[in-house]
Amino acid sequence: MPPDPMALGLNVLSRVAASPTAERFGLREPIENVVHGGTRIGFAAIQRAARSFKPLRKLTSPERSEPRAGAPLFDLTPDDEQELFRETVRRFAADRLTPNARAADDAAACPDQVRAGFEELGLALAVLPEALGGACEQRSAVTGTLILEELGRGDVGMAVTLAGSMSVAQLIVDCGTAEQQARYAAPFAEEDAPRAAIAVNEGRMLFDPFVLKTRARPKPDGFVLYGEKSLVAAGADCDFYVVAAELLGVGPSLFIVESGTEGVEVMPQPAIGLRAAQTAAVRFDGVQLPSEALLGGEIGAVDYADFVARMRIANAALATGCALAVVEYVVDYCNERYAFGEPISHRQAVAFLAADMAIESEGLQLVNWRAASRADAGRSFDKQAWMAATLAAEKGMYVGTSGVQLLGGHGFVKEHPVELWYRNLRALGAAPAGLYV
Amino acid sequence: MKVLVTAKRVVDPDVKVKLDGSGNLDLSNVEYKLNPFDEYGVEEAVKLKEAGKADEVIVVSVGTSDSQKEIRTALAMGADRGILVEVDEDEDLDPLTIAKLINGVVQREEPQLILLGKLAVDAENNQVGQMLGALTGFGQGTFAYRLDIEDGYAIVGREVDGGTADVKVALPAIVTADLRLNEPRYASLPGIMKAKKKPLDVLTPDDLDVEVDAQVRVVGYELPPERAAGVIVADVDELIEKLRNEAKVIG
Repeated sequence: MPPDPMALGLNVLSRVAASPTAERFGLREPIENVVHGGTRIGFAAIQRAARSFKPLRKLTSPERSEPRAGAPLFDLTPDDEQELFRETVRRFAADRLTPNARAADDAAACPDQVRAGFEELGLALAVLPEALGGACEQRSAVTGTLILEELGRGDVGMAVTLAGSMSVAQLIVDCGTAEQQARYAAPFAEEDAPRAAIAVNEGRMLFDPFVLKTRARPKPDGFVLYGEKSLVAAGADCDFYVVAAELLGVGPSLFIVESGTEGVEVMPQPAIGLRAAQTAAVRFDGVQLPSEALLGGEIGAVDYADFVARMRIANAALATGCALAVVEYVVDYCNERYAFGEPISHRQAVAFLAADMAIESEGLQLVNWRAASRADAGRSFDKQAWMAATLAAEKGMYVGTSGVQLLGGHGFVKEHPVELWYRNLRALGAAPAGLYV
Repeated sequence: MKVLVTAKRVVDPDVKVKLDGSGNLDLSNVEYKLNPFDEYGVEEAVKLKEAGKADEVIVVSVGTSDSQKEIRTALAMGADRGILVEVDEDEDLDPLTIAKLINGVVQREEPQLILLGKLAVDAENNQVGQMLGALTGFGQGTFAYRLDIEDGYAIVGREVDGGTADVKVALPAIVTADLRLNEPRYASLPGIMKAKKKPLDVLTPDDLDVEVDAQVRVVGYELPPERAAGVIVADVDELIEKLRNEAKVIG
């Protein structure tokens, strides 16, 4: 059997290393150099330290550099109007949403008195311009984001129900033709406002809002709509939908579909979360639509990518609000809950997790604000919106599940809200609610 | 009838204020709100307007330019216009100075009714309304839980120790609001949008011929001493023994 070359090589190497040859070839020299050099540097340092310092200039007071003037790179202060919006909605959420959240989830419905209270708040009028019966002069995705955060902090399920119709109104204000605005947006300013939902999700793995199986086929006097939408938030009880569908030969487009149209079927589809929002599956079986049903009136009038990015911001805003509610609750709980004679927050395993939850929640909030403020500034924001959506899905779920974890057994029972928040954050991550800022 | 109502900017009463090492308030992380007692005043003024008893509701605040936000809050609730008496951040203001500044606004505007919160929840002085009464010479009804305006009079239901007392004050009059006066509304979102367009004048103490020279100054803050844990006594005898020998409150 011939000798194994590998074994042979190793054998030679170890012999060389052990032999005095190493010394003879000068391999030890560098080591001594290092030792010698090290000593020299040491002495030099001592000499330098002996240098004495004298004042070179006469100063009567300390000189400091001024902070850089001009607009800061980073200023996240809401203006007075945004601050007032936020305060008002926060108060509404604390008074009406938080106390009713459990009941609304159990009943899988948003109570009528909460709807009435929300109407008093007048969000519809804040969305619609004066010509449509509202009071809005300037629209802002940042303001919308702040409002949705506060609603989400109160209760995600009811927030989706209440804000869903407003999102539709905003979308029609942004994209609709004059005729569409007068017909479908103006009624939101009146008594007995319509209920509407945006239907994008489809029930399959790794759904991508840019790849739609719901199709609209053009015909001379309109379109024919086929397909099925899944987990349409606030979709069970609607007067009309805005449906995302692949317009054959064009690409993803939006259509206004009245729920009474022949061929529209709605089935309740209760899910893990957003129960108060009554998620539903909506099927379109050869629905005949007039040509006026195409949002924006003309092919290509709606920037679909812009629409998707604004939906992502809205969804991330809800998740942010809910995640911040979890953090607030968990911090109080861990400071008040005693085990082994001290608050459980004294344990690193608890405190560090709570801190991580706060970091992720506020990180999500900042990324989302950036997306929204870029949208308001007229700059591209699809990347930031996508990052916010990704953080909302991943970190929202992390915060939700960690909240359950930190409450231990209390996290599992309905006596505390964290299991509800967990389910809602999970739902928002899996199937974004059809909201829009 | 013209109604003047105050709107002070205060630290959010739900926030627990901390002290820094040198006995100053640490206000770095607090939020500010419209003083809740002033909010009752604003609500009452807006209700008077809605009932047709007031023609105009003017909101006045004394403070830095940040106080504009609290004025806007009141405007969003339904007041018609705002006046900010702007002072520097480092200016000491005592209740008398504030009363003089508001008096300056009263002389300019000549309102028939002046509504103030009975106190501001930050310093809790409970003095400005009464001092304003002295400065203006108007009658006053303090701690109002009920307010009616009839034939040139304000009928004020007052909360007093041990019950209530009604007073009838000739207009122009000063009324300070207590917490049972009403339930303030939310500023609606369209209301907030409209508030932006309502006029807000900024005046200086000089405009009002008032010299800002506080006679009362805050020299420092400290937290109340922490309460020691209580004890549970076994019986009445032990309680009497402790009251007599430890607390020394009975002989």
